[in-house]
Amino acid sequence: MLDNRRWIVSGIFISIGIIFLIKLFFIQVWDNSYQTAAANISIKKIIIYPHRGIITDRNGKLLIANAPVYDVMVIPAKVKLKDTLGFCDFLGITIQEFKQNMGKARKQITSDLQPAPFLKQLSKEDYARIQERIDEYQGFFMISRTLRGYPQNSLAHVLGYVGEISPQALEKDKSGYYRQGDYVGISGMEASYEHELRGQRGVAHIWVDAKGKEKGKYQDGKLDTASIAGQNLISTIDLDLQQFGEKLMEGKAGAIVAIEPATGEILAMLSAPTYDPNLLAGRGASRNYGLLSQDENKPLFNRTISALYPPGSTFKTVQALIALQEGFIRPETVFPCDVSLVKCHGHPVGGVHNSIQFSCNPYYFSVYRRIIYQKKMILKDSVMTISPDGDGKKGYTLWRDYLSRFNLGRKTDIDLVHELKGEVPTLNFYNKRFGGESQWKFSNIYSLGIGQGEIGVLPLQLANVCATIANRGFYYTPHLVKSIGEKKLIRSSFLKKHEIGIDKVHFELVINGMRDAYRMGTVSPLAIIQDLEICGKTGTAQNPRGEDHSVFIAFAPKDNPKIAIAVYVENAGFGGAIAAPVAVLMIEKYLKGKISRDYLQKQITDLKIIKINKKAIE
Amino acid sequence: MENSYSEKEEKQNIDNTSAIEYPAWFDKYFQGDRILWLVIFGMALVSMLVVYSATGTLAFKNEKSNTYYLFKHITLTLAGFAVLWLAHKIDYRYYAKLSRFALLLSVPLLMLTWYFGMNINSASRWITIPLIGGSFQTSDFAKLALITNIATMLAKRQGKVQDFNETIMPVLIWSGIICMLIGLSNISNAILLFTTSFLLMYIGRIPVKQLGLMAIVGFIAISIALAIGQRGDTAANRVRSFLGYNTENNFQSDQSYIAVSTGGFLGKGPGNSDQRNFLPHPYSDFIYAIIIEEYGLIGGLIVLGLYLLLLNRGMVIVSNTNFVFGGILAAGLTFSLVGQAFLNMGVAVGVAPVTGVPLPFISMGGTSLLFTGLALGIILSVSRGEIDDAFNKHKTQTAAAQVNANVIKDEEDEEHENTFRK
Repeated sequence: MLDNRRWIVSGIFISIGIIFLIKLFFIQVWDNSYQTAAANISIKKIIIYPHRGIITDRNGKLLIANAPVYDVMVIPAKVKLKDTLGFCDFLGITIQEFKQNMGKARKQITSDLQPAPFLKQLSKEDYARIQERIDEYQGFFMISRTLRGYPQNSLAHVLGYVGEISPQALEKDKSGYYRQGDYVGISGMEASYEHELRGQRGVAHIWVDAKGKEKGKYQDGKLDTASIAGQNLISTIDLDLQQFGEKLMEGKAGAIVAIEPATGEILAMLSAPTYDPNLLAGRGASRNYGLLSQDENKPLFNRTISALYPPGSTFKTVQALIALQEGFIRPETVFPCDVSLVKCHGHPVGGVHNSIQFSCNPYYFSVYRRIIYQKKMILKDSVMTISPDGDGKKGYTLWRDYLSRFNLGRKTDIDLVHELKGEVPTLNFYNKRFGGESQWKFSNIYSLGIGQGEIGVLPLQLANVCATIANRGFYYTPHLVKSIGEKKLIRSSFLKKHEIGIDKVHFELVINGMRDAYRMGTVSPLAIIQDLEICGKTGTAQNPRGEDHSVFIAFAPKDNPKIAIAVYVENAGFGGAIAAPVAVLMIEKYLKGKISRDYLQKQITDLKIIKINKKAIE
Repeated sequence: MENSYSEKEEKQNIDNTSAIEYPAWFDKYFQGDRILWLVIFGMALVSMLVVYSATGTLAFKNEKSNTYYLFKHITLTLAGFAVLWLAHKIDYRYYAKLSRFALLLSVPLLMLTWYFGMNINSASRWITIPLIGGSFQTSDFAKLALITNIATMLAKRQGKVQDFNETIMPVLIWSGIICMLIGLSNISNAILLFTTSFLLMYIGRIPVKQLGLMAIVGFIAISIALAIGQRGDTAANRVRSFLGYNTENNFQSDQSYIAVSTGGFLGKGPGNSDQRNFLPHPYSDFIYAIIIEEYGLIGGLIVLGLYLLLLNRGMVIVSNTNFVFGGILAAGLTFSLVGQAFLNMGVAVGVAPVTGVPLPFISMGGTSLLFTGLALGIILSVSRGEIDDAFNKHKTQTAAAQVNANVIKDEEDEEHENTFRK
């Protein structure tokens, strides 16, 4: 039915169909611009970085803050510069730098419509000047970011620094939280409290079309997450004491660790020489890092937790305590000052108290021998007998176990990264060194008895030993943070009391010896201050590479101690001469808040043992 | 009819259809053109696959399970099939009677829609049915009513097709009114419907000279709609974009081209579309782009082929039917469906400006599915009538010929021929 007209209509439809096919062919085969566009279309994830937590000292003084920095951004497609040279002058860059920066910016983006950083990390002053007129230059604008700032220019080793995450760290990160270019804490508290400080990053999903133009929130922001600010920390550090210590240690190499014995809170912790932590934040960070790492005085090296020193004579306190507890000596036990065993200096002879006060070397040679051979003193029917020699290996193991209780030869688990465990040699170490179990005996290791030889302790460990003595037999793990976040939390491991297992009475004996060592013993009269009841013990750590290191441990007051301190001054010789005055000044500063003897402070400050490399500090 | 009909042609068609063996139940339940049935099933199959994939984003956005929209779509498709099946069971001549009433009803309905319609995408095309609570697009209803009515008018006046006042005038007036009213809220549908009316008049042997007048009426109707309707700006923008004057607002078509161009020859595979996340309405307006993206050029060809086959079957039905009304009705509905399909596909491949028409029986959408089902059902009903006639014809060929002659003479009453046949 009907006429041929319907075939005409069909023909029209078929022609349209053919047109479709031709067009399809064009889109799919001829013109590949849409395939390129396909690669560019995306849901853009904009990361909202949370504020990193800040850190204050125990008195509320700001140690780490977030300093605002400003970047000049560019949208290349929108740039219309009439006077490029004028613009360069305005920003304070050369025309070459302009071209370089522009090229760099372009490389970071897939479309010229996207913004990219043009000039990074401008100062507040530059910002004020540039912000005013940036609108005149089309395609450029400013954004602000935050950067870590260290307003006290102090505490570099404790606070650490942040930096871009390394590829290795990124690979190790199991949580999948970090991305390339993220900033993470690399050392110090920045690293050990990374998780608390960083907060939780937020993400905004933006719908972006093929041309890079934002088309609004993807799915009305349903997938977006808000960022959660990092937690603020309150440090145990007393900034005044810390900075006082840093001042005292200027021109010297060494370490100071001061602990509040009753809590394990670290009041001051410094490694000398130090550096300004701001050097490793901001624009010159990588250049400064290079300079600092080449410095022969190793300012980046945190001696408090990474340097192994012999404890020297300070170790005699520990030896006395072990021997007393095990019954190898009694308070009144006297050994002659026999310089044929080990050299000594002239002093009166007496019991344990006397040996501490005058730091008698032959006395501790004998004490250590009794420990190794477990020679117990037995009082039977008012006759004192001494047990025969026991197995030396057994004695050594016993001694090593006591040292471990004092947290020597193992990590203290302080809240810092890169802590070493110190060195207390194992039996195997000597077996290997001397070629067999029967190849070595007491005469090979006797110098351990006076804190020399193969033993190595960290300044932190020595300070902890001092705190343990001050506490008469227990310690809390030394730590740097007393409160995390608004809930004022603290890591539970820092609340655990560690008992040494040595009776209090033995501590009293040793402490009395330490008090007299300070008052009228081995401490330089210069250091003595009458109205503070300080108990201390000097030491001289032998240094095969040069002048001996000066060591001193002390705590005060004698009863209910508030501060326990360990001081190492490298290549400064006898402990009583340099380390003791430093420690005493620190104690006085902490307990009294001021220094009564400026001349002493000046004398210590003026003492320059190392050459400061000025290059890095600019 | 006399000119085009020949024994030879008819024989060929019968041979073609009987070349494939169909099971007995198929003929029992699915009467009418078998190939058309297969085309419809093919469309439904494609529809399920693509809608499931394309609604993934929508389901996620509305916090529904990923099969929520699939099941909703299956339900609606089944409803579409139910309408289709019922419609094909009814003798198509019955629709002629309904058409005048439906046409009169569609005028207030369209106006109501324009005033109070639900606002979806800033175009009020939907009204909520009282009591039931569902919403439906009144233009689909009006479209069906107009096509059926034009077929009725043209069939009745086959003898006077040259008569301007009696034949051409009413068709012109009705087409103008309905298209203008639809154009108030949906320009592309209005143009599509007007083109269909135009083609119907062409097929209905209105002289070519008079068709020029038809084009003028159409132009005026659409212009009025653009001027007072709500979609004038959008339409102008889209046409401008299409012509390349406006590069800012090409987002939709750019995304569609991306889909088409990344699909390649074999496509990315079912469920692997990326562009469904970026294209607005990937399950209806831009479903063809998703089909090409997932099933490649091959998939696009198959879908195009399905509609061309639909057109072919429509034309075969037209040529086999013995009644003018049935022929024009089938032709009109076929043109309307295929035209809509072509417009939809044309948007995806960039041959037409961006419009909001769904791909018939493939896109998700309630009203569209139901009315497409109804239209397909009517076409099948026409083809079924033809088969009955063919059956009868072998027995009472002379009688049938006489009836045909009567139909042309008797312009008033279709019922008369029915009685006669029985």
